[in-house]
Amino acid sequence: MSNESFLSFFMVGFLIVLFGIACLFVPNFFLPQNMLNLITNNWFVVILGIGVTFLLVTGNFDMSVGGVVALSGVLSVYFCQAANVSQNALANGLGLPYGVAVLLALVCAMGVGAVNAFFIAKLKVPSIIVTLGTMMLARGVAQVVTQGAQRNTSLPDSFGVVGNMSIPGTSIKISVLIMLFLLIVAFAFERMTVAGRRTYLIGANAQAARLSGIKVGRHLTFLYVVSALLAGITGILLASEFKAGVSSRATGYEFDALVIALLGGVSIAGGFGSVLGMFVGAVILSVMTSSATGLLLSPDWQFTLKGIVTFIAILAQRYALDRRKG
Amino acid sequence: MKLTDNVLEIQDLVKDFPSVRAVNNVSFEIKRNTVHCLVGENGAGKSTLIKILTGATARTSGTILLNGEEYNPHSPKEAKQNGISTLFQELNVVDQLTVEENLTLGMEQTSFGFLRRTDRINKMVEVMHSLEPSIKPGQLVSTLSVAKKQIVEIAKAVAAESDIIIMDEPTAAISESEIARLFRIVKNLRDRNVTVIYISHRLDEIFELGDFVTVMRDGKQIDTKPVSEIKDRSELIRMMIGKTVFEEYTPRQDGCADAILQVSHLSNHKLNDISFEVHEGEIVGFYGLVGAGKTELARAIYGADPHEGEILFKGKRLQPAPDKAIEAGIALVPEERRSQGLFTILTIRCNVPVMNMKKISRNGIINGKAERKATAEYIGKLRIATSSTEKEASKLSGGNQQKVVLAKCLFADADLLMLDEPTRGIDVGAKSEIYGIIRQLSAEGKSIMIFSSELPEVVNICDTIHLLYDGSIKETMRNCADINSEKILHVVTGGQ
Repeated sequence: MSNESFLSFFMVGFLIVLFGIACLFVPNFFLPQNMLNLITNNWFVVILGIGVTFLLVTGNFDMSVGGVVALSGVLSVYFCQAANVSQNALANGLGLPYGVAVLLALVCAMGVGAVNAFFIAKLKVPSIIVTLGTMMLARGVAQVVTQGAQRNTSLPDSFGVVGNMSIPGTSIKISVLIMLFLLIVAFAFERMTVAGRRTYLIGANAQAARLSGIKVGRHLTFLYVVSALLAGITGILLASEFKAGVSSRATGYEFDALVIALLGGVSIAGGFGSVLGMFVGAVILSVMTSSATGLLLSPDWQFTLKGIVTFIAILAQRYALDRRKG
Repeated sequence: MKLTDNVLEIQDLVKDFPSVRAVNNVSFEIKRNTVHCLVGENGAGKSTLIKILTGATARTSGTILLNGEEYNPHSPKEAKQNGISTLFQELNVVDQLTVEENLTLGMEQTSFGFLRRTDRINKMVEVMHSLEPSIKPGQLVSTLSVAKKQIVEIAKAVAAESDIIIMDEPTAAISESEIARLFRIVKNLRDRNVTVIYISHRLDEIFELGDFVTVMRDGKQIDTKPVSEIKDRSELIRMMIGKTVFEEYTPRQDGCADAILQVSHLSNHKLNDISFEVHEGEIVGFYGLVGAGKTELARAIYGADPHEGEILFKGKRLQPAPDKAIEAGIALVPEERRSQGLFTILTIRCNVPVMNMKKISRNGIINGKAERKATAEYIGKLRIATSSTEKEASKLSGGNQQKVVLAKCLFADADLLMLDEPTRGIDVGAKSEIYGIIRQLSAEGKSIMIFSSELPEVVNICDTIHLLYDGSIKETMRNCADINSEKILHVVTGGQ
């Protein structure tokens, strides 16, 4: 069994233990609806986690995803709002049909990814600096477009459809299905494709990758654009769900995406980790958040609890992996 | 500490590694306040000896007397404290600090945590000034040339009252005029109560600078003599190579093969106007000692480093990028396998097909079965010692790791293979196997370029040998049964 698989199984074990503890201490934890929520409530962080995980495997960060979510959501609203309907500037948009607005917003999101790639792959600026910068830039543009508040008027009915659609007969949203679909595609990419393999090669030894003929810059550009695209899709879905473009949407999501990747065993040094592990990490995060809420902890304690469990998880991983390697 | 005649006495020094005795009962003395040169081919044991002296590695047995007292350093820091400083090829100065700050690094004087200027520091600055007045204490070290940075290091060692300064190939990276200045300073050090151990492949320097010379070969000390007693370069060279026995070289059936690679006027910061041709099925060797430019040449042709000049491969201009080279049909086995050749945290199966993924995939999707099969095939072909394709590359021995890198390049189905130090760190048995594979490839019509600092390796298998020194090809020889290895060594050490 590869080290990746071992770690994924280990984290599933950790999850089960955590889940068990939660069932004991948190009232009403062991309800089917609650357990379903554990998987479905975090759908947006999982989608963001896909891009973040692949970039971490190459040894790079993408801290811009939260900002891109906000930007694409706001832009999708702005592009779609009816033009020239009111005195209030925030109620006027470009009046484009929903489909076109979405496409345009996604293109803008990918543009952010391209900017990331330019500075990181071409100019070799450290990725953590660049992506924190573009995160602020993207959110800044969103703030300008919403004048610091939100845009939620003059929208056609079609706008709110995709974000609020559920599977007939259940309360599971289409967004969750999209997450599952993207996760499966990502896993196939990671395991079965040449491009997926390239990601690990670059992370394991960028110099050897270059000397082996891999176009490192081109691959990194691809990953950053995809990551931004995923964030864009998330932004569109969220904007549709709430029928509003809010500039403060997804604040802190990039950190959550990073945490679930690390919880899932993705190595910060690069070359190691799996999106499946990231998903397990997301469920662990869900359990923690849900437990904290269920225990009626104050938000400060919730945050602290998250931190403590994250530490324990990461230490446990290191210990398990080191023991295995002998 | 009594002031003995000999600053250093080495008695029956032995250093064993798991598979080789690197230092074999070496004994000699170094007289105080002299320039004592240490020469020998690669693998002679010089570096290991120096590592023992500087505390970087522990001896297996034997005695070292420093100033008459037993000396057994457990760390480089201890060595320094005992008065042995070293000038390495990789400079040990901090670019972002000033000359003065570098001089006092690690020895700052403070009161209550605030840096103080004391007499000791003033003395250091004086020493610096007397060695080379053009270097000002307030200058940022990053603005200094390599040669001046060396002088700062020397000043630091002198000011720290070192008894011995070891200089490892100090002239490899500096210009002619700077070499003259360095020599002046080195000769001057004798008056400052400093003994210099000078390691160099450039034999002319030995004659110009040295008072004594110790020749090492195969881990043994061959002889230690005053330089004045050595007649000429040839005598020194004879001491260095002894009677090396080469395996019999069998010349190829010389057909009129076409040139597959044509290099014209290749130059960059390290290379000078290099031109040569490689023919189909030919094994071409590039032999030279440390700093000759072998790796730089390989990397320039491969496109890993920028260069001027023209390279034609199969008649077409070669674009300067590794992926373009691989596409055209060239593969490189890099010099450093761990940092440049291998993906150590990944499995053998992930390493082998890297340069030719098309062979085991369709439309971008990897064929797992084909991948495993191909990896197993190469494990068998190269006799890589592993029980499975899933072993992490880092878990293999050095020799087997090198075989994986070789497998990686063979998998690329290249028409021209460039091998940079292909058998470095590999045991004799594995070396033989690799030479057999190289001969086989040549018989199949592949062309091979070998860049090596091991003379027997080059003489055993290469059809043509280019001798490199200081970034240029000094001479080209066709290999034959009784090739003149003395002449070869004469050329690669700077002789005319």
